[in-house]
Amino acid sequence: MIRTRRGRSVFKAYLFLAPFLVLFAFVVVYPIIFGVRLSLYGQRGARMWYVGLSNYRTILGDPRFWEAFKIPLFLLLVQVPLMIFLAILIAFVYERMPRGRAAFYRFIHYLPYTIPAIVAGIVWSYIFSDSMSPLRPLLDLLGFAGVRILNREHVPLVLLVIIFWEFTGYTAFVVFSALLAVPREYAEQAQIDGATFWQTAFFIKLPLVRGVITMLFIFNAIGALQVFNEPWMLGELVVLPPNYTPAMYIYNSAFAYGRFTYATAMGLVLACITFLISLYVLRMASRQLLARGW
Amino acid sequence: MKRVILGLLVALLAVSVAFAADDIYPEYKGEPVTLTMWAWTSNEDYSIREFEKAYPNIKVQWENFGVHYTKAQTAIAAGEGLPDVLMIEYTFAPEFMELGAFVPINQWLPEEKFVKLFGEPALNWCALDGKIYGTPQDSGAIALFYRKDIFEKYGLTVPQTWPEFAEQARKLRQADPNLNFATVPLGWALWWIGQVWEAGGKVFDYKDGKWYIDFTNPVAEKVFNFWGELIDEGTIKIEQWWSPDWYNSLNVGKTAAVIIGCWFAEWLRYNAPESEGLWRVTIPPQWDPANPHNGMIGGSGFYVTTHSKNPEAAAIFVMWLNSHPESLKCLHKYSNLPVMVSTRYAEVLDEVAGPDKFFGGQNIVETLWEAHKLVDTAYVALPIQTNVDQALGLLLQDYVDGKIKKFADILPMWEEAVVKAMKEFGYDNVVVGELP
Repeated sequence: MIRTRRGRSVFKAYLFLAPFLVLFAFVVVYPIIFGVRLSLYGQRGARMWYVGLSNYRTILGDPRFWEAFKIPLFLLLVQVPLMIFLAILIAFVYERMPRGRAAFYRFIHYLPYTIPAIVAGIVWSYIFSDSMSPLRPLLDLLGFAGVRILNREHVPLVLLVIIFWEFTGYTAFVVFSALLAVPREYAEQAQIDGATFWQTAFFIKLPLVRGVITMLFIFNAIGALQVFNEPWMLGELVVLPPNYTPAMYIYNSAFAYGRFTYATAMGLVLACITFLISLYVLRMASRQLLARGW
Repeated sequence: MKRVILGLLVALLAVSVAFAADDIYPEYKGEPVTLTMWAWTSNEDYSIREFEKAYPNIKVQWENFGVHYTKAQTAIAAGEGLPDVLMIEYTFAPEFMELGAFVPINQWLPEEKFVKLFGEPALNWCALDGKIYGTPQDSGAIALFYRKDIFEKYGLTVPQTWPEFAEQARKLRQADPNLNFATVPLGWALWWIGQVWEAGGKVFDYKDGKWYIDFTNPVAEKVFNFWGELIDEGTIKIEQWWSPDWYNSLNVGKTAAVIIGCWFAEWLRYNAPESEGLWRVTIPPQWDPANPHNGMIGGSGFYVTTHSKNPEAAAIFVMWLNSHPESLKCLHKYSNLPVMVSTRYAEVLDEVAGPDKFFGGQNIVETLWEAHKLVDTAYVALPIQTNVDQALGLLLQDYVDGKIKKFADILPMWEEAVVKAMKEFGYDNVVVGELP
């Protein structure tokens, strides 16, 4: 097969892909296969015994696992659409700004994405600490004097703040880059026809970057379902249940309670759910494209 | 004061006579070996160096991963990867014993020798069913750390009994509502169980193959009602310890006193540098001054693991590390541990005890050793300490959020959660409602 020109091309392609494929097989595929095997066992300490699909049956009936999805659902329905919408707005604002200024703002908005979560977490813990927070005087002024900044009820709101801070700049950057690829003629044509900047933005340019937006939705959805870093950091300041999010429950089951095989099974279930939801979003997006005659 | 010195001298004499023949530590006639150890105490290498001088054929490689429970759990499940010697806090040790992480070392450290070197209560922290797995290092004896300047400023007296404690707390709350006389931790089961221990009680134990759980016994209820009253009325607040807020309050003088294990002296030194010279230490308030008593919060033991290829060398090492006077001196001087569990600590007490600048010149080792000697009871912790801890943390958070009205109601709820967790983990040898 290698003898044909096409065959040689294909071979070269695989050669280039080889380093990635090897790493991928080793770091992603093998652990998944090993994990599937592991999930079929019961375990306590170093002892393991075959239990077949029993772990999965337990998971289906484990209220703690399913309750853990409350926060991802909240993020999925509130944070994801809101953040993407905000990012789109910001990307259009970048378009309107003079070049230099836009570049500057893109840079500083992107920065939070580059800060390691642990480092950011430490600073956030000061911002939300009752005795040292710079927000405290402001809150007192607004009439929230007796209310603690951080208690369990406020955590979802705090999560929103942190996640927005972390990712909005990055998302806006991605949308902006996609918008750069939109041919100018469309916008100019629309303006000649009398459309305002914002009308052009939302009815002409945005649909043209639909693919990127869908991809952002999917990645954010995956992130929301598997959220771990931010609630974990907040767990240092306010006591959160071990199953606050599915990923936290999986982590705690494995490393706090030592139930590694059960955690593995849950991890696979979570992966399946994430996969199905991504598939659904992708289907919805492509169906809409089809309906519009694309 | 004179009595204390006399007492110390007598103890010193007695102990040194008992240990005059230094052949308590067996010879090592095996192959040269390098042991690995995981421990988070600082500067253990000084003790290690002394040990290697005494036993040239045994080298020890110390690795510090911080609190390494996650790593240890993973290694146990994987079946390999544990070091020869593992440092675990006393309350978490039974969990690891149950998981089969440790190997018995009675062969080289028989029970009588263990009791001679470490005292009988320590058997509850290092052994299960007569099998000894390791040796105890530092004492978590509870002490009252207080700010002398705040006490003087508001005319507070150092409480000798718990009713006095409540009185002083209310006094300070009235004098200055922005200050805390003391706070209690949001979670950290060790602390709460320690309070019950200090009152002479316990909430669980192990005997003859059965786990006993009884949180609602009279002593525990007495303790929880005492704190409950103060917490419900707002005199004592529940705070998230080990948080930036908490360290800040200790540093700037928002908290007047802390009830905690004696190892806290090291933490204060490093985390509240601005309050140097202002802290003092004393034994905790008593329920019955005629029969003083104490408990422990924290403290860790060093255990020999099943992955060790040379348990004999490891056993000799943990024995020496935690009882030989040379090692104890290093542990005190370089690792900043004020009090060690070993009975042989009395031998070096004179050398290491002295005025401490951070504590305004007070001889804290002397006081803390007194506090340690009052620990005369012990119990075996449950093998699900992480769950015990988490269950309490959740209940306390519920209380803070206003979902539980009366603090003392937490105790039976806690018991329920713990019993449930034991059943979930497959323990069918649990007796609820009584203690051995």
